Amino acid sequence: MSKFLVIGERIHVISPEIKEALATRNAAPIIERAKTQLEAGADYIDVNIGPAERDGVDIMKWIVPELQAATDNAPLVLDTVNQNAIRAGLEVYNPVNGRAIVNSADAGDRLSNIDLAAEFGCIVIGLLMKKGVPRDNEERDEYLQTMLEHAMEAGMDPAEDVFFDPLTLVIKGMQEKQQEFLDFIRTMSEMGLKSTCGLSNASNGMPKHVRPIVDNVLCAMSIGAGLTSAILNPLDKELMNTIKTSEIILNHTLYADSYLDI
Amino acid sequence: MAFTKNPQTFTGKVAEVVIGTGDSAVTIGGENVFPLYSFDAEFKNPPIVGIDISDKGPDRNIPGIATFFEGAESLAEIAKRASEAEGASFVSFSLDSADPNGDNEPIEDSVVKAKEVADAVTKPLVIQGTGNGEKDGQLLGKIAEALEGKNVLLMSALEDNYKGIAVGAVLAYGQKIAAESAVDINLAKQLNVMISQQGVKPQSLVQNVGTAAAGYGFEYVASATERIRGAALSQNDDMLQAPIITPLAKDAWGVKEAIVSEEDFPEWGPAEERGISMEISTAVACLAAGSNVVILKHPESVKTVAALIGELV
Repeated sequence: MSKFLVIGERIHVISPEIKEALATRNAAPIIERAKTQLEAGADYIDVNIGPAERDGVDIMKWIVPELQAATDNAPLVLDTVNQNAIRAGLEVYNPVNGRAIVNSADAGDRLSNIDLAAEFGCIVIGLLMKKGVPRDNEERDEYLQTMLEHAMEAGMDPAEDVFFDPLTLVIKGMQEKQQEFLDFIRTMSEMGLKSTCGLSNASNGMPKHVRPIVDNVLCAMSIGAGLTSAILNPLDKELMNTIKTSEIILNHTLYADSYLDI
Repeated sequence: MAFTKNPQTFTGKVAEVVIGTGDSAVTIGGENVFPLYSFDAEFKNPPIVGIDISDKGPDRNIPGIATFFEGAESLAEIAKRASEAEGASFVSFSLDSADPNGDNEPIEDSVVKAKEVADAVTKPLVIQGTGNGEKDGQLLGKIAEALEGKNVLLMSALEDNYKGIAVGAVLAYGQKIAAESAVDINLAKQLNVMISQQGVKPQSLVQNVGTAAAGYGFEYVASATERIRGAALSQNDDMLQAPIITPLAKDAWGVKEAIVSEEDFPEWGPAEERGISMEISTAVACLAAGSNVVILKHPESVKTVAALIGELV
């Protein structure tokens, strides 16, 4: 069983600081966020530059080498809907410490991002959606099959090269959907597929003091169901401890009294 | 259908540790395959065998050992002779006289002895303490100081004395240490974590995860060692990637099969042959479970096990 993969989410255009840094081509605050996330235990750093329709190519060409040079070539997740920008990022990416991840393809308009990932021999996140979030597991399964076939036709190994994202749904309002979400993670796990998701979406809209416990429990239950990675905030120590503890309980890592410190 | 070879290698690999200096220095660890699975991938550094001598001199009650050390009287002569044993990659020196429950020799005397041995051999040196945690905590630090520059491996950093040994031997004098636990996978990992937190780097850390004589609860040793090696390779657990060293002479030569006399058990045959068999069987079982290094005491066992490694890897 390979280690649960933590993808750090803190380089995101939604943060005013990052937005400003991207706009002014000021790498320092972006590098800083990459470093703190890596120190906190992130395996990959997500680089979300937003839609970046106008200058996405330039941004990726600039930020990918900047980040990798400052972090001993940390593995990156290239996150934008602008396909040309992802391509530009992949062209300058150094895979020495891990293949790049394209974020993301789906079963609809963005299916061709699978081909892009295949072309560069990297990993792609496949969102189990077409237009809007999946209604139920029947739809998830339909999208999964579409992407599986497409990945195989593109010459990828779907068990290694695609991380399927079943899409977390907001608990508040869609409580009845959560069991299905966990069931689908288990289905994918039993198929030998890798998975990922943005866990914290589930607690959106909840009071601040409630969100951590919801995030932690959903994380533990998802890992228990077979989730193999997640996009999250690695600076959230409790969440990282939950992941480490889940891995101990599942015997993915060997217990030692200091396991939370390593 | 033709057989398709599907070698099993891992992204995780055992750390490499160098002991000794100059041409006779040896590197242990470094492999990314299961123990002795040289058919899966080349073994970066095949396992090695060391010969142990006690500061009380060789056990001359055992005829083969008496013959081997014949004429070697001083510690320097004994050490030199040991280092010439066929198949021995290094010499291990056990400070049995320093045991507080025995002769309780003062630390200064042990240091003088260790120095005499270190000066007499060119092969790498491993120092085994008394087995008493408190005494070893003081003793091994002093020996590390006296043997500075020799790049020796000091055994027995235990749960209750690792700090002093880690700081005193590795950080201050650049020696190597072995974390010692007794067939307890969780403690083995914990000790490695704590020693690492002292600032000891992987290239200075070896682990002795415990042993037993073959047939005497060895199944626990085998499963613990295999679990540790499995985690190092398949889970890429860097807190378990230290090479494994197993001193097993005392266990193998301490059981009934090795001790009782031929007069008492004529049907068992000569005691010495039985002892050698116990030592070889235990050593081979340790190597199959994951040991990178075994320490034996009979020259015949050393020769046989080294030859076996040479054939297999």
